[in-house]
Amino acid sequence: MAALGAPRCLWRCAAAPLGLPRAGRALAGSRGHGQDAGSEADKKESHATKPCFTDEAVQSLLYKMTGLDLQKIFRPLKQELKPPTYKLMTESELAEATRKAIQEAKELLKMSPVLSEREPIDDVLAEDRILEGTETAKYVFTDITYSTPHRERFIVVREPTGVLRKATWEERDRMIQVYFPREGRKLVPPPIFKDENLLTVFREDRHEDILNLCIAQFEPDSANYIRVHHRTYDDIDKHAKYHLLRSTRHFGGMVWYLVNRKKTDGLLIDMIQRNLMDDATCLVSLYHILHPDCQSAKAAKDQVLHGVDLIKVFMKTESNRIGYIELALQAYQEALASSAAL
Amino acid sequence: MVFFLFQVLVGLIMVHLARLLMKNYHGGHVAIRFALGGCANRPYFRIVAAYNKRARDGKYLEQVGCYDPLPNSHNEKIVGLNIERLKHWIGCGAHVTKPVEKLLGFSGLFPLHPMTITNAERLRKRRALEAPATSQEETPSD
Repeated sequence: MAALGAPRCLWRCAAAPLGLPRAGRALAGSRGHGQDAGSEADKKESHATKPCFTDEAVQSLLYKMTGLDLQKIFRPLKQELKPPTYKLMTESELAEATRKAIQEAKELLKMSPVLSEREPIDDVLAEDRILEGTETAKYVFTDITYSTPHRERFIVVREPTGVLRKATWEERDRMIQVYFPREGRKLVPPPIFKDENLLTVFREDRHEDILNLCIAQFEPDSANYIRVHHRTYDDIDKHAKYHLLRSTRHFGGMVWYLVNRKKTDGLLIDMIQRNLMDDATCLVSLYHILHPDCQSAKAAKDQVLHGVDLIKVFMKTESNRIGYIELALQAYQEALASSAAL
Repeated sequence: MVFFLFQVLVGLIMVHLARLLMKNYHGGHVAIRFALGGCANRPYFRIVAAYNKRARDGKYLEQVGCYDPLPNSHNEKIVGLNIERLKHWIGCGAHVTKPVEKLLGFSGLFPLHPMTITNAERLRKRRALEAPATSQEETPSD
């Protein structure tokens, strides 16, 4: 009764490592670490293909638009009650403390990765039909070696039919959470991420909280993560609640999503109304980087425009709500003129 | 100077005394086996590298995995295996007991155990015999 087939003693060689499908950006489960390492590889890619989220030019534009409102970033989080500490400082010490606060704020503003949806895994390692009917439950085997990165971990499932296959992404996430629990992540995703419950969250204007929960719970390339983020961005765009995400780390992702789908009008109007002219020009230049074939991009390249002219050319050729943007620009210029006169 | 020599002597004696107090196994070997834990009507196994002569649930050298024999809400029996350490102990010459061999055969690390295949075939034959027996019982009852 010899063993069937060749002994598959070391299936590490046979099974290909479960890495990401594109240019191997190894995200070791933590947010934002892959960006710096990946940007060089992406620069070479962007000359041939369309620009990526992690390009330096794109990242710098998004970062400028996010803003740095210290009051909002460091507003009191729900933590244990501690009485406030007061310190007596000289002017130079205060400047030093502000500088450190700005650096910490930059750390907090690191954008979470934007990836395309992961492809489902369905890879069969062995078919032992002789085992059919002997077992009633599946066996899930996880490799709990401490030093392997989670993306390369071997997780296989032996079905009751006798088929030995690689685990699906959901099974992988669940098993990794069982053996290497991460803080803030639950084994079963909470029902708040269902579509009908998301509406309640949006009604209470808690978009930032739900996005933070989403980052803690799901992997950046999972379907749920992408779905929740897209719903949030759509709702913000529908009700023009851009200010909720400004100066948070989700702003960059939102702008990237809107520019990719050419829904930039609402955001542009909002920026002009809040007198953020630099941000508006950043937005238009990002649009031109992403869609270099559109009319306004070509016009901008020919005439080398800056500032308000750039926005005017963009408005005439690309936007749907020309009237609103014109009104907003007019109001801004009148306000400028009156303040200059004063 | 004298005190220093005295300390060295005491150190040497204590090392030899400690060696005598440690458990020595004559002809024993390391085994990778299940150690049962859990509660009443709720078993839970730890896959453990231990000396052969030790108690089943006693002191082990290293825990190398775990196995939950009761299926969870997704009808899965969860097994965790520290492959790196397992390979190390097998490389050091550890013996693997039959249940662990069968489990590792299911996982794909080892080939399928012969008894697994034998039992599967026996079960199949028994079921094949029972099926016509039940059909014969049904026809007289009609």
